[in-house]
Amino acid sequence: MEMTTFLNLMVVLVPFLLITVVFSRITIAELDLPSAESTSPTAPTFRVEVVVREAGLEIMDGAQVITAIPKTGDAYDLPKLSEYLVAIKGQYPEKVDASVLLEPDIQYDHLIQIMDTVRSVEVQEGGQTNRTDLFTAISIGDAP
Amino acid sequence: MKTSRRIRRMTRHKRVLPKLPLTSLMDVFTILVFFLMVNQSSVEVLQQPRQITLPESVVEEKPRETVVILVGKDEVLVQGVPVARIADIQAAGNAEIEPIGARLAELSESVIGLSTQAVAESQEVTVLADKSIPFSVLKKILATCTARGYTRVSLAVVQKSGQTV
Repeated sequence: MEMTTFLNLMVVLVPFLLITVVFSRITIAELDLPSAESTSPTAPTFRVEVVVREAGLEIMDGAQVITAIPKTGDAYDLPKLSEYLVAIKGQYPEKVDASVLLEPDIQYDHLIQIMDTVRSVEVQEGGQTNRTDLFTAISIGDAP
Repeated sequence: MKTSRRIRRMTRHKRVLPKLPLTSLMDVFTILVFFLMVNQSSVEVLQQPRQITLPESVVEEKPRETVVILVGKDEVLVQGVPVARIADIQAAGNAEIEPIGARLAELSESVIGLSTQAVAESQEVTVLADKSIPFSVLKKILATCTARGYTRVSLAVVQKSGQTV
């Protein structure tokens, strides 16, 4: 069987595809921004708000602070935030929207990390980790 | 006699030499080619810019063809054109940044080719921001986008290999 021509093709194709492979892939996190025109007149009864301050995190329900999570060392305590959010999700399973409210000097990197925490949680299940969605429609705003 | 013995020896030797296993080699290459081609099929819409470092995230959504706002350490570029400086944005008192807004309005008006049409009609913005920029700058940029009708905003991140949080 004459395989040499086919083999030549393969040998050329493989290095070509290998050099064009992209290893760091860019993805996007969609924001659920309220548009300027459509302001909902009816205030929702319960909102999940994560307030990011210089000193730490706070979880609010729209009116008052439920819990405050201080920074551990120099970083935000994301595992604890995740824990609380899972508990809230357990109480309100239909809720999909949440707000992340930030103080003006918080770095963009922290915003993304906290958005990740709010969006989904990693669940250990028999040796393998699965991601479960928490609040996928995230909007951002100013800290009160 | 001498040569014939040599020939005989050579042929005997040749029979012992294993043939190059072409079939298994072909298998490997075929699988490799298909694997790489499947990886290839997702066309990269965004390239990772050199001058900024994007934050890492676990989100898996693919970027789309949109207006790209690149927020570097000192400059803001809208579709590749530098329009404003970070220092000016920080200093600005009002929520909207005029040059960015003007550039966005210009983009939705000037449609040249198919790709620019897709960009203009999407009414969508992808923000590639350096991980160190403060939220106040980002907020002003986002406020400008929403005020100009670009209501769907996405933040570009580098995909993290899922295991760590």
